[in-house]
Amino acid sequence: MSRPDVLVDADWVEAHQNDPGVAIVEVDEDTSAYDTGHIANAIKIDWKKDLQDPVRRDFVDQAGFEALLSERGISNDDTVILYGGNNNWFAAYAYWYFRLYGHQNVKLLDGGRKKWELDSRELVKEVPDRPKTSYTAQEQDASIRALRDEVVAAIGKRNLVDVRSPDEFSGRLLAPAHLPQEQAQRGGHIPTAKNVPWSKAANDNGTFRSDDELRALYGDEAGLDFAKDTIAYCRIGERSAHTWFVLHELLDQPNVKNYDGSWTEYGSLVGVPIEIGDGQ
Amino acid sequence: MSGPEVSAAVSADGCGAPAGGAARPADVGNQAVVEGRVTRGGEAVPVGYARLLNEGGDFVAEVPLGTDGGFRFFAAPGSWTVRVLAPGGVNTDRPVIAQTGQVAAVEVSV
Repeated sequence: MSRPDVLVDADWVEAHQNDPGVAIVEVDEDTSAYDTGHIANAIKIDWKKDLQDPVRRDFVDQAGFEALLSERGISNDDTVILYGGNNNWFAAYAYWYFRLYGHQNVKLLDGGRKKWELDSRELVKEVPDRPKTSYTAQEQDASIRALRDEVVAAIGKRNLVDVRSPDEFSGRLLAPAHLPQEQAQRGGHIPTAKNVPWSKAANDNGTFRSDDELRALYGDEAGLDFAKDTIAYCRIGERSAHTWFVLHELLDQPNVKNYDGSWTEYGSLVGVPIEIGDGQ
Repeated sequence: MSGPEVSAAVSADGCGAPAGGAARPADVGNQAVVEGRVTRGGEAVPVGYARLLNEGGDFVAEVPLGTDGGFRFFAAPGSWTVRVLAPGGVNTDRPVIAQTGQVAAVEVSV
């Protein structure tokens, strides 16, 4: 796919935010930002309450996703434009999630909420009223989601990309540096994983770097073998969704999976190999 | 100082950065905290971002500024740079040294 198939810029959103058939969705873990101001006509999806099963650690099931989108007024034919805070982490996760359940016409707002704010574009408090729909989801597309046994089997065989910060990768930190450090799991990374922090794929303003820069980053600098299949992971799977988007959607790499269990699962598994330090 | 106002909306299994940064525990304990406020002409800058860069200049973390212009990071001991981005093309760096059990304060006037 090319960039216009998967990304829109802020000017496009301003020109099309009132179009029928366009659904603008702000996605975040903490949706209080939406409540204080959002892009006009945007609805919100709460990454945790709406997309995660409330009991088990897993996604909402197919029927649950259908119910969510129907209730929010999104139809199968809508062009869904996703954006959010945290440099689009949770929006990229939602993009991957929409793809997982078979929604094809979905795009990210390049730069997300951050670039929109830094450009001083309009944010409103008015919540749009979208009529309910009857959304039909597909079965989960297992070709883009990795589970733990597949990850362990991929050690030394496939590209493993750890997209956390170098300090998390080495085991010096157990969580991003904007959070208190937790102690419940072992630090380090999956053996043979390359550390390519998600942030290297983004400019300061949150937009994605150019295709040529991205190809050089993962190929020449990180040494990924583009002929091999790839699994990306982070701590809970949203930063790695950002990297999945870069590799699978922008660079057109086939067979890229996101391991959403990520370090909070892997670092707590009994008996699996862990490597500490800065890696090779 | 009492530290910036922060959102408490962050959970153990979440990963996002709440505006202003996660709340500072009453006992800093083994955390190496970096925090401060961004102001312009003495007034808080409530729209903008604070980024934490490591000694090599690589990105480590980012939080949106709180309503009082505040930010907070939980770093490892060492030398860091706080970069502030705000509307109007503001892009300002401040060096800071974090120590375990300490709160390193960084006031940024833009």
